[in-house]
Amino acid sequence: MKGTQLGEFEEIVLLTIARLYDDAYGVAVLEELSERLERPMSLGVVHRTMQRLEEKGLVHSRFSEPIAERGGRSKRLFTVTMAGEQALREARRIRNELWDGIPKTAFDHLT
Amino acid sequence: MNRNYKRQQETEPPRWAERLLTRITAPHIRDEVLGDLYELFQRRVLRYGYTKAHLLYVLEMLLLLHPRLWRQQARSAQLYTKPTEYSLPNPMAMLSNYGKIAFRKLIRHKSYTLINVVSLSLGIACAILIFTLIKYHLSFDTFHADQDRIYRIYTELHTDKVTYSTGVPNPMGEAFRKGYSVAEKVGRIAFLKKRLVTLSPEKKFEEDVAFADPDFLDIFNFPLIRGNPQTALQDRNTALITERIAKQYFGDEDPIGKLLHIDESLVVKITGILQNLPATTDFRSEIYVPFGNLQDHSPWLVEKDWWMGFNKEMQCFIRLKPGVSAAMVDTKILPAITNKYYDKEYAKVFRFKLQPLSDVHFNPKLRGYTEKKNLWTFGLIGLFLIVTACVNFINLATAQALGRSREIGVRKALGSERGALFWQFITETTLIAGVAMIIALGLAYLVLPFVNQWFEIKLVLNPLTDAYLPAFLLVLLLIVVFCSGAYPGLILARFQPVLALKGKLSQRAVGGFSLRKSLVVTQFAISQLLIIGTLIITNQLRYSQQADMGFRKDAMIILPIPDNKKSKISTLGAQLSEMSSVENVTFFDTPPATESIGSTPIRFDSRPKAEDFTISVKSADHQYIPTFSIPILAGRNVNPSDTIREYLLNETAVKALRLASLQDVIGKTATINDQPGTIVGVMKDFHYKSFHAAIEPLCLTTRSEVYGNCGVNVNPANLGPTLASIERAWKATYPSAIFTYRFMDEDIERFYKLDNMLLRLIQAFAGIAIFVGCLGLYGLVSFMAAQKTKEIGVRKVLGASTSSILWLFGKEFIRLLLIAFVLAAPLAWWVMNEWLANFVYRIEPGAGIFVLAVLITVIVALLTVGFQSMKAALMNPIKTLRTE
Repeated sequence: MKGTQLGEFEEIVLLTIARLYDDAYGVAVLEELSERLERPMSLGVVHRTMQRLEEKGLVHSRFSEPIAERGGRSKRLFTVTMAGEQALREARRIRNELWDGIPKTAFDHLT
Repeated sequence: MNRNYKRQQETEPPRWAERLLTRITAPHIRDEVLGDLYELFQRRVLRYGYTKAHLLYVLEMLLLLHPRLWRQQARSAQLYTKPTEYSLPNPMAMLSNYGKIAFRKLIRHKSYTLINVVSLSLGIACAILIFTLIKYHLSFDTFHADQDRIYRIYTELHTDKVTYSTGVPNPMGEAFRKGYSVAEKVGRIAFLKKRLVTLSPEKKFEEDVAFADPDFLDIFNFPLIRGNPQTALQDRNTALITERIAKQYFGDEDPIGKLLHIDESLVVKITGILQNLPATTDFRSEIYVPFGNLQDHSPWLVEKDWWMGFNKEMQCFIRLKPGVSAAMVDTKILPAITNKYYDKEYAKVFRFKLQPLSDVHFNPKLRGYTEKKNLWTFGLIGLFLIVTACVNFINLATAQALGRSREIGVRKALGSERGALFWQFITETTLIAGVAMIIALGLAYLVLPFVNQWFEIKLVLNPLTDAYLPAFLLVLLLIVVFCSGAYPGLILARFQPVLALKGKLSQRAVGGFSLRKSLVVTQFAISQLLIIGTLIITNQLRYSQQADMGFRKDAMIILPIPDNKKSKISTLGAQLSEMSSVENVTFFDTPPATESIGSTPIRFDSRPKAEDFTISVKSADHQYIPTFSIPILAGRNVNPSDTIREYLLNETAVKALRLASLQDVIGKTATINDQPGTIVGVMKDFHYKSFHAAIEPLCLTTRSEVYGNCGVNVNPANLGPTLASIERAWKATYPSAIFTYRFMDEDIERFYKLDNMLLRLIQAFAGIAIFVGCLGLYGLVSFMAAQKTKEIGVRKVLGASTSSILWLFGKEFIRLLLIAFVLAAPLAWWVMNEWLANFVYRIEPGAGIFVLAVLITVIVALLTVGFQSMKAALMNPIKTLRTE
């Protein structure tokens, strides 16, 4: 029984997987993330996060055919499961609620 | 070709890294990881060029290194339909479940639990006592403020050998105080043992009295609870006493202003009360008198500012200024004092050094109580006992593990993880160890008074006031739990559920018999080590106490005499001699064997220089030789006269003078203690110290002014009445003193007091180690017997005799025991030789002792094994076989 909360980075990775839809694998996710987050990222971190997501049952993976550009190795392609979708929606709902709850004047004094 | 190869290289990631990754990556993610890295590499070569891509590849690889990389395929993904309701297990609930199951298990296996609890609690109780003992000794005199700056100046005499004394010449204190500013405080003190303290004619006590400089109480932390610390010990004829003494002497009366008579010669007025002494101090005087009063009380100690003599009681303590190093004082200041106050020849002989306060309790050369070495020996023994107890635990647990395999199979099949099973087992161990610890504490409390009696110390066991004890207990508990629980726990948790459920686990799965064998060997080896130690110490002590010391020691009574005026001595002597049951009466300073005897230079005949050895001097009257039956080998006994100086040497002294025959010394002069005299005879060598020390040159002479004891040779038949009449005669001569006497053999026993304590302790520990070991054996054999019931049944049906079945059990253990002996014997031999090296006259540990040790363990082990195996062997085979 592992902790099954969705971490912040996990959420971002999960979203990226969803966004890449049918081409979500290690390198693609890594590139997408480092572009969006504008900071260098290591494959290891992405990799471990995706493994964790799979263990939690939030993504599902399958292997592609071997590909020449990859030195004859296959890709592990990830897709979001129903549980994953639900977790994402849940996270979004919480965020939306929180955003909605912020009073209009909350950020006023900052400017 | 070459270029082509290079091009090829530039588009490929580093081969070594790929190979390394292939090796360590779990198979199910290997393709993915290598593929991803490869793809990234290709992109980066295009983007940044080969070198940077190469570097980044290695970097990515390093960042991938994580257990997830080589962990085997994860369990299949579980689907959570409601991810928001992910629930965490409640750890407290699990813990209480562990506890409940552990408790039930332990109740079910009563004998198993009992054996473990008993052996653990014995081991832990010993460990607690040893810990308390060690801590007690280590805490001696550590309560003084700035104790690391307090030193005692001691004397080293460099003659042909080096001798040490706690005392310093009388002028040392003043010389140090006046001439050198490195010390904050300098305190001279004279510790006089067993002085007669009189309140009134009826109230007499014997007490140690210290004559001290006012600085002494400043250096040491013995606080005054009444009286003025500024003026304490300043004015003459005052005294400070402890609360305890005040209570004993005066009860509820106010002691301040009361008078005390010390040895009848000195009258002092009590001006202050000291707080009771803590148990952990070596400075046990409870009456303090100003140092100046020494002049009136014992003028011989301070008669003149004499640098040539010193006395062990006359000590000097200093507290150095902060930042002053003891080494500097040792190498600069004390040699400077020697050079200033001694001529060239004596400056070589007299050397002074600083002894740190922390060393006072532990330095045997300077009359310290014990050596640290002994403490560590005890520590080691304590560790041994704990190990033995833990070994039992592991052995029984692994032996029992097979029996529990079904339980574990079921638990695993129901989804228990390996970790959970491990913690389950640890909980069981903790429960046993916890119970054992509580019992052990109780045991330790019960035994403590006896230990205190044995060692004549005051150990206190109070976890509430002593922060170290609970910490020690906690650490001990953790160690015990993990030492004894971790291995069986791991074994149990590793069982394959299918095999376990089928009951198909073999003995090998629980760590095999080999681990248990080696543990049993360890246990036996520890027991044998202790047994051999016990036997050797017993033999040596018996040898020391019963051996011929060269003089008569039975039926000798020694009476300390408070006053050696000639008239008194002769009256007492005459009265005692008249009694029919008294054979001989002699007056002397020290009995034949004594720990405290000084030595002094000797000049022989007309030789120009003093000899290069020193000689010990005994002062005694002419009756000494016949009373103690010391044979005269040449010449004659000394004359009764006190005025004509005559010397009687021992053989060793004659040998040291390098003379051909004993006759050669007779009639020659010798100068000893600056006093010339004639050598009239040679006495046979006798042991005038304990067997710890070698016989050295000795001389006997008459000097009635130093006599302090009277030796009476009595007829042992009517001891009671004889003692009574001796007391009457004594009282008639010394009406105001307290009559005390002791037997000579007790004196000799006292030499070996520490050794005797060591013996008793090791005996006790050896007994416990053997007992605990046997408990373990008993348990082990019970399990073996239970497992082998069917085998035994079959053997019996096929016609095996009872004795052959007994042998089935016995031979295994005898083999282990012999292996243990092979391990223990050399170790024991080495350790005991170290101990025996403390004795100059000693036994040689022969083969007999070792054989005896083996026999004892064999017999005890066989008795233990025998009962269970007998039961197994006698069992009706029908019963055991029918169950199939």
